[in-house]
Amino acid sequence: MNIITRAAAAAAFLAAGADVRAETLRMWGPEQITEPLIAELWNGIKADFEVKNPGVTVEFIPPTGTISNGAVQAALQSDVGPDVVLTNSGIGRITVVKNAKQIIPLTAYYDERAWKDKIYPWLFEELKGQYAGEIYEVPDGLDALGIWYHKDMFAENGWTIPATWKDFVTLMKAIQEKSIQPLAVGPRTPGSAGHLFGNLLQSASGTINVGKALRGELAWDDPALVVGAVRLRELVDAGFIKKEMAGLDLDGASRLWFNKRAAMFVAGPWFTANARKAGYDLNNAGYLPMPSDMAGEAKPTGGVGWSWLIPSNSKQPELALKWIDFMLSDEVMKKRAQHAASTMIYPRELKDIQPSTRVLKEIFAVAANGVGYNPSVYLPADVTDTYFQVIQGLVSGQISGEDGMKQIQGKMVAVR
Amino acid sequence: MAGVQALDDTASGAAATAPPRKWELIPAGHGNTGTAFWLMAPAIAVYGIFTLFPIAVTFWLSFTDSAGFNTPASFVGVENYRKAVQDPIVWQALWQTIIWLIYHVVLAGGLGLGLALAIARLKRSQVFFRTAFFLPHLVSLAVVGVIWANIYDPFFGLLNTGLTEIGLGNWTQGWLSDPALVLFSVNVASSWQGFGLYMLLFIAGLQDIDPALYDAAEVDGANSWQKLIHVTLPGLREVMTFVMSLAMINGLKGFATVFVMTNGGPFYQSELITTYIYRLAFQAQDHGLAAVLCILLSLFAITITIVFNRWRARMAR
Amino acid sequence: MSMRNREWPVALALVPVLVLVLAPFAWLLVSSLKSEAEIGRADPFEWPAELMWQNYLDAWQIGGFGELVGNSFFNVAGVVILMLVTCAPAGYALSKIRFPGREWMFYALIFGMTIPIQAIVIPLYQVLSGLGLVNSLAGIVLAQVSNGIPFGIFLMRSFFTNVPDELVEAARIDGASHFQILTKIFLPISTPAVMALVIISALSTWNDFFLPLIVLISPDVQTIPLGLVRFAGTYASEYRLVFSGTVISFLPIILLYILTQRRFTEGLTQGAIKG
Repeated sequence: MNIITRAAAAAAFLAAGADVRAETLRMWGPEQITEPLIAELWNGIKADFEVKNPGVTVEFIPPTGTISNGAVQAALQSDVGPDVVLTNSGIGRITVVKNAKQIIPLTAYYDERAWKDKIYPWLFEELKGQYAGEIYEVPDGLDALGIWYHKDMFAENGWTIPATWKDFVTLMKAIQEKSIQPLAVGPRTPGSAGHLFGNLLQSASGTINVGKALRGELAWDDPALVVGAVRLRELVDAGFIKKEMAGLDLDGASRLWFNKRAAMFVAGPWFTANARKAGYDLNNAGYLPMPSDMAGEAKPTGGVGWSWLIPSNSKQPELALKWIDFMLSDEVMKKRAQHAASTMIYPRELKDIQPSTRVLKEIFAVAANGVGYNPSVYLPADVTDTYFQVIQGLVSGQISGEDGMKQIQGKMVAVR
Repeated sequence: MAGVQALDDTASGAAATAPPRKWELIPAGHGNTGTAFWLMAPAIAVYGIFTLFPIAVTFWLSFTDSAGFNTPASFVGVENYRKAVQDPIVWQALWQTIIWLIYHVVLAGGLGLGLALAIARLKRSQVFFRTAFFLPHLVSLAVVGVIWANIYDPFFGLLNTGLTEIGLGNWTQGWLSDPALVLFSVNVASSWQGFGLYMLLFIAGLQDIDPALYDAAEVDGANSWQKLIHVTLPGLREVMTFVMSLAMINGLKGFATVFVMTNGGPFYQSELITTYIYRLAFQAQDHGLAAVLCILLSLFAITITIVFNRWRARMAR
Repeated sequence: MSMRNREWPVALALVPVLVLVLAPFAWLLVSSLKSEAEIGRADPFEWPAELMWQNYLDAWQIGGFGELVGNSFFNVAGVVILMLVTCAPAGYALSKIRFPGREWMFYALIFGMTIPIQAIVIPLYQVLSGLGLVNSLAGIVLAQVSNGIPFGIFLMRSFFTNVPDELVEAARIDGASHFQILTKIFLPISTPAVMALVIISALSTWNDFFLPLIVLISPDVQTIPLGLVRFAGTYASEYRLVFSGTVISFLPIILLYILTQRRFTEGLTQGAIKG
């Protein structure tokens, strides 16, 4: 008896479902949807999309990891995986899922759906250059890593971020004399190690040289490139970066900065989220690129931080494309850029927007003058591990800058 | 494997002293092999499909250039083995795995034994201490990693601030950054989680020692130390073997705490074979080399088992 | 003799050791009651200005712990039952039935004990995927049981080896089958070993992070350890929820242990040692 009524109910449900053509779009991401601010933003976007596309339900899958720890690959490989993915990208990571044929090329849609007009032209060119013309991702957000400092601390002591490396070292000495740690870093979080190191490479060698090294056209142990690594070791030896920091992760290191035991920290716009959680007053945060002796090379470093991907086994490829269209629309991008949960730079210039915090405005302004490479996201996946370990080796004072760069170069050669 | 083999030896050894072997008396009915097979069938099926088969695939992968899911893998002969031998990190990880294993046996096994010796004599408060000291073993290793990474924080951690607070400021260390300390520090965290089981096993072993032996020793005028050396420790020989084997297996499989707390760093100073395998497979996508290391680890385990059993047999003589 | 009056001095001497060993728990409990800003200040000796019991409520609701706990219980129950179904008969066969190749079979079955799961995870994933078991609790249960079988068989076999063979003989003469002997005689007298097997497999299953990470993809099938990851992002984590969620995840397993600890210790003794 019971079974019959239940079967009838199921049949009725199925019939009703067929009428409205109920469809579900399952999306991998966003990260930290458990945080109320982020949940508010994304539930709003989801609701807008559902209104525009009657009968469609968007379902978020809270990520259990990234491509780096295998979680994304496992999800993509399964037949119950997401229909569209938002995850940490960069060419190293994308190559992994591309080689495994887990994602589809999106090149054609850049023309068909005019996506190429919705991202910076230089960004489009860069993406086109990565896999001989094929593009597998749609950038969602860019990173711009630079030096965060405390405005009040710097004002009180009359400090400013100077223009040359020599003055920068002098500044760090002055900071150290006040019993404040000049620069904090948490290299146990691989990304964080790369943020500081990328800044140092950019400052010492400039965008062109770093770009060449990433493409394998310039040896990493070339004198033109080792300066950044040598300088890192010098900062460690001078105690401007404490050796103990080799055991810190990003959270541990950022605590030093939020508690003002450290004066400077290299991070990107996403650091606003950390600051909010730590109860740090974001009005006091200042942001500037690391000084460089090379003209015009005092630039933040970065690259594509987050991207949209469409899995090969997506059950809703059409809906996934619509969703990406929607994410690239002015309406959504502006909404996100002005929301308090916003933590990144958007892939095209957004006019007349009011970022939720002053420091984000500063970051947008600095980044508008150009962004250098953050090698972490450009290096081949099999070199990144060596790269991060070498940075840890430098911070813990185990190797010299020259030796470290030699090891990275060795790995670059072995991989090619 | 080591523990198992060791125990198996003791079992058959015990049986051998009571001849004839009793199971031989069981009427060897025709159905027995068949019955045995059916009784083992569920275990064999599950284990064969989900463990043995993947191991076999791993063995095959070690001769290919597989790069993970859906990628074409072609046979490359012993190329991966050559790469493994030439990779200095492999040797470093192997050496550190041995050190890690020794730390684990000494720290976790030692603490387990010490506490068991103290607790086993207690009557009224035994259950309390036994339960309380076992609590860390209930925590997952990944969580242990998160907790201890916070404790070891050089600037804010419980350990360094605590030391400073009680006037031992110059004892503070970069627990996870000092190349000479990091493996030890992480192992302490891992052993903190691991010692409880060994403690319970030792307590069980101690309770199994015939009290008459102590009385006899007392009559002979033995002091506590002599009783420990001549009665307690010999009485614990079997459980000691078991605990050491178990600790070695656990040590060899050590992964989660290192993975969470240092991921092998800084600069490979806490790299274990297992963490290197993981990073090779998931970050570098070099599944061939990862498979070689997996086989290396198995061979290593088997070697340790054999060496340990030889040593034990010689000690028993 | 002197044993009895040593109780209190020894107990007193153990207290400081216990305090040291349990200090991380104290730290965790206190931290789980702090606000995110207080955790950010990172003073381990600072008492929370206001006890944030809210953290527990938030972790439960935001993290969707209700569903996670349900899945974890299902996961543990499945593993425990299947462990008994696979290991008890196999342990019996390997200890009480004579058949050719018994030793080899035993070694083959416990060989897996030395293989770290990380080493075989990709082929294992492909097996699960081929059988349509990815993203299902059934899949994770089978993989975990397989991983636990070597120790389980080892434990049960050692325990059964200790049971006098006369019991088997007598029952055989009465015409009982091996299966009947196992279920009617051996299992009822093996409560301690069964308890040890139950606790050890429940513990490792409850805390397993690695296999669920790879196998359980949809939120509606995930277990507690994966729920904790939801509070962590690439660059920022919500520690108040990580900590309180961790405490929540301890409670059931601590309860299980305290309720069964007497038999558990007995089971370990008789199962593992007297073999």
